[in-house]
Amino acid sequence: MKNTGFPLKIMKQKVEDNHFKMNRGKSISFFHLFFFLSLLITHLSFSHVLADSHFEGFDAEDDDAVEEQPLDHRFIRSPPLTQSDSQATPDPETQTNPDPNPFPTSDPPPKLDPQKPSTATFEYWDEDEFEGLPVEQQSPEPPKITENATPDNPDPKTTAKPQNAMVSKKSYTVEIICGSFLIVFIINYFTGKRENENLALAWAAKFATKGSIFEKNFSLLGVGEGEDSPLLLKEGQNVFKFYASGRRYCLGLLATMELKSRHDLISRLFNLVVPCKDEITFEVYMNEEAMDQVVFAVAKKKAAKGMQKEVRDLQRFAGLVANPSGRKWVAEELSVISESKEVAGDLITEAVLEQVFSDKAFEKYGKGFISMHFSDQHPGTHKKMLLFKFALPDANHMDDMTRLVALVPYYIDLIGRYKLSSQARSKTEAARVKAAQETYKELQNARQEAMQKKKAERKKMLEEAEAKLSAEAIHKKEAKDHARQMKKAMPRVKMTRAR
Amino acid sequence: MSSHNNHSTSANDPRQPSAAKPFVATPVSPQDLPVDYSGFIAVVFGIAGVMFRYKLSSWLAIIFCAQSLANIRNVENDLKQISMAMMFAIMGLVTNYLGPARPGTQS
Repeated sequence: MKNTGFPLKIMKQKVEDNHFKMNRGKSISFFHLFFFLSLLITHLSFSHVLADSHFEGFDAEDDDAVEEQPLDHRFIRSPPLTQSDSQATPDPETQTNPDPNPFPTSDPPPKLDPQKPSTATFEYWDEDEFEGLPVEQQSPEPPKITENATPDNPDPKTTAKPQNAMVSKKSYTVEIICGSFLIVFIINYFTGKRENENLALAWAAKFATKGSIFEKNFSLLGVGEGEDSPLLLKEGQNVFKFYASGRRYCLGLLATMELKSRHDLISRLFNLVVPCKDEITFEVYMNEEAMDQVVFAVAKKKAAKGMQKEVRDLQRFAGLVANPSGRKWVAEELSVISESKEVAGDLITEAVLEQVFSDKAFEKYGKGFISMHFSDQHPGTHKKMLLFKFALPDANHMDDMTRLVALVPYYIDLIGRYKLSSQARSKTEAARVKAAQETYKELQNARQEAMQKKKAERKKMLEEAEAKLSAEAIHKKEAKDHARQMKKAMPRVKMTRAR
Repeated sequence: MSSHNNHSTSANDPRQPSAAKPFVATPVSPQDLPVDYSGFIAVVFGIAGVMFRYKLSSWLAIIFCAQSLANIRNVENDLKQISMAMMFAIMGLVTNYLGPARPGTQS
């Protein structure tokens, strides 16, 4: 029994297998067709003309041309099509051609696939509809071709050859391009990183080493603790920070260098289109008692307008100051934003004008100047702050910004000593009180809104809970009723039974 | 106040070592960090590469991964996204080069 039963089972399995294969073959060929069609539709515009010539070239004379033609029309196609082709079509040349596909073993079987089911699927082909089909797609119809023109027999083979050659080449182009880009990217990462570091170090060497301007003004330099703490703190690959502290009138100074993303090839290429600058920002945290009520900013004309609109304290307290007549004033490219004329006049001193901001000096030394902004109402944790923003020059031309950097300690002292006149003070006081009231009101409004929201939410929650509860209660009641009814019914049944 | 001893003209010296405060790095909340666009693009390309079996897309994903890695600021935070993008990109490449040629052509 066992012996006879066993082969039977195998047979059955085999039959099933065959069936399965057939089905699969069909579905696969359908899939092929569908895929080819979709690809063809998208790329018909490319291959249309050339493919047409193929159909005309069934004659024997054109045979040589046919061998070569697929080469160029392959060439025109875009990568996605050839890619999928390489995987879809038989690939007998894998041994001779360096193919990126490392699995040549999986290739021979599919060779049979498109031909086997051809009889079944070909009924669905309407030749008129697919005039634009290239030759190799027509390979599933060898009988017809042989009837029409005998020399066309080797056609599928010959077309497959150059196609595969091109496929291997094409697929390599993607890898070559991407791989080389990656290599360049990595090389650029290290070179760009070093470039940025050199620039930051050049700045630190110029302004923060022994005998330099920051060493003379601050008792503590660097971001660490102890004597030889590192001067610069690196944050990311293109942001460097320098910290100094221990000076009269201020708590500390934080300089942040934001350099170009030289380490990043993509943003470097992007910066070729949209140029940007290496910038350094000084934030000076003033002592609470050392800074009077001052809101003041200087920037290039365009930027000043933007600042006046966008920066909150400038928008609230200050306005653009017109050039006063009968006095030396800042260069024409600059404009001054200030709370009052008095402040502007007092803060733009003769010395500063002479050093940096007068027409002549600005042309020479002010190239890197972007903006400066002093405020006692700075949004953020520390309110009294001086902000300076400069563009960094080359690593070899750090001297260019010496005068700009000298502005920092100069203004720390100037503002530290500066006292408003009583008249101006009362004005600014009133403005600040008003602003404080407004912010208080806003805060209160926000708080109230939050409270209301909370209340509404709580109410909703309660209602929901109630609804749930009531639903549950109804449910319970129903259940009870049901039970009661059942109970009522039960005895009757019993009664009837009893009877 | 003027505890430094090197300078006789301490009145003109603005330095005040007693007032020196060591640097305190301000912790930056992850929301304030600049958005990692390249990481996002890498994820998108990586998924596209896997879904459509498109080599170029996977390669682009790897390139953007490299960019994202190059611009990394906050290690713990960014590494998640980058590793995800990297996984997708590598998966796409593996299925492209090592995997079955295409679901349709399997025997």
